[in-house]
Amino acid sequence: MTADLALIWPELILTIGGLITLMLGTFLGDRQVGIYQLSALLTLAAAAAAVVALFGVETTVFSGTLSVDGFGGFAKLLIYAASFVCILIAPRFFSGGMRAEYPTLIVFAALGMGIMASARDLMTLYVGLELNSLAAYVLASFMRTDERSSEAGLKYFVLGALASGMLLYGISLLYGFTGTTDFAGIAAAMGGQLNIGLIFGIVFVLAGLGFKVSAVPFHMWTPDVYEGAPTPVTTFFASAPKVAAMALMTRVVIDAMGPALGAWQQIIIFLALASIILGAVGAIGQKNIKRLLAYSSINNVGFMLIGLAAGTQQGVEGVLTYLLVYVVTTLGAFLVVLQLRDADGNQIESIPALAGLSQRRPGLAAAMAVFMFSLAGIPPLFGFWPKYLVFEAAVNANLVPLAVAGIVASVIGAFYYIAIIKMMYFDDKSDTEIPAGGGAIVEDAVITASALWLSVIGYLFIPVLAVVSASAAAVLF
Amino acid sequence: MVDLTQYLPILIFLVIAVGLSSAFVFLPMGVARLTGAHKPEPAKLTEYECGFPAFEDARSQFDVRFYLVAILFIIFDLEAAFLFPWAVSLEEIGWAGWATMMIFLAELTLGLVYAWKKGALDWE
Repeated sequence: MTADLALIWPELILTIGGLITLMLGTFLGDRQVGIYQLSALLTLAAAAAAVVALFGVETTVFSGTLSVDGFGGFAKLLIYAASFVCILIAPRFFSGGMRAEYPTLIVFAALGMGIMASARDLMTLYVGLELNSLAAYVLASFMRTDERSSEAGLKYFVLGALASGMLLYGISLLYGFTGTTDFAGIAAAMGGQLNIGLIFGIVFVLAGLGFKVSAVPFHMWTPDVYEGAPTPVTTFFASAPKVAAMALMTRVVIDAMGPALGAWQQIIIFLALASIILGAVGAIGQKNIKRLLAYSSINNVGFMLIGLAAGTQQGVEGVLTYLLVYVVTTLGAFLVVLQLRDADGNQIESIPALAGLSQRRPGLAAAMAVFMFSLAGIPPLFGFWPKYLVFEAAVNANLVPLAVAGIVASVIGAFYYIAIIKMMYFDDKSDTEIPAGGGAIVEDAVITASALWLSVIGYLFIPVLAVVSASAAAVLF
Repeated sequence: MVDLTQYLPILIFLVIAVGLSSAFVFLPMGVARLTGAHKPEPAKLTEYECGFPAFEDARSQFDVRFYLVAILFIIFDLEAAFLFPWAVSLEEIGWAGWATMMIFLAELTLGLVYAWKKGALDWE
């Protein structure tokens, strides 16, 4: 057991660092933002370093309940990086209302997500998922005096509890019909004839996980929670938990349900197509930029699921690459939204207020245009590359109709992304003044870096990315 | 044919149990009615001397502090629930098990420190 502890350093660091952050905030007071923020940031950086230090290790710990491998490592690095950015941007948004619970909860959520990404037993899967979800419910209602934030928290909690119930029901069925909670054991039991109980188990587990990645038809909470939650929290929800849930879903379907490909592939294909189409159509009528980005995230999850539906190593590589590019784009887009404040310093969320942004804030508008084009998957930008990878994987897995339907639906998606760009560049200036923020060097730097990476520089990384994602995906096959 | 005689002990038990428990309920009531002064008033007729009225609309507002106390109670109640099986099986799980529980207790203590410092334990 002591030997196992040496292999879960990232989790240990996050646990201890989270507790230290909490105690710092408790004893020094919420005003000492710099100190507890630094503690949380250092914790995440140290955990990421520990993941890198474990590079190349491929084993299981604690009687096979948790795996230490490249796939989990890839997901964890992405999760920790996204959490890092979300802590970095918070103090300016909350201004005087920043409390130490914010970085603490993000660190604990990151811990839960790390466990999700490396779970290889239904029990650790659930522990990780709940550790992440409980922190997320509190984060959603972080501005407790704000009505919309409280509503978002309550809605997320009630629907999240329902989804956990469905997931647990599925887990109990899988355990009942296979006699084990171990992924490898479940896969072995699924090798033979599938009975109706196992199929129901697969259905309920995928429904619960579908809720976590907000795939249609389990997406109904997403726009409301994204709109109501404070913007840094929305940024967090749209980035890190998506990576964790997607990594978990990949591991569950490939590792635990691998032999039952025929059963889960149909479900994933349905989730993918429904998410792409509803995400694209639902976004068109939105007047709130956060709601629009929520639908955009639903849409993007659909594309990732196309890669997963292929069920091949190439498909999983596509999913991992997609996750990386998606996280960078989403972080950038939400950071741009964070910069939009009117003359009184109030956050602007309405889309019509963006009209003529290119004349007021040319840099910001250019960055937003890059993110929107990239989300739409228009070729010169890097957002095109992961879409190409997942479609290629689908075609190679003989899912040509799925790929064609996905490409057609992505045209609908392009409409509203381009509508925003048109509004920023070609419409008359709106009445809302959007003065330059100033003093947000870190945020500007993150926006610039992600926009540059997505524009052309990203293509230089393709060889590296291909090797990394291939070695991460190879773990599952 | 089922041999019903083998169920005789449970029959005797049920008769005695029902008889005794009825006696426990009705005997004090009868004795009190016969010997005591009978002056009912609203405070005496409520089920509990303090706390919420037992019968009222469930959708009433109540102080969030009750909720806080309930949450803290659950956490430390569960801690006790974990301690019992741990204490019984300590010989088998050894020092590793001992250390694990101490870590768990330390984390809970930090939670208590947090709640204390934030004033969650002060009623006023």
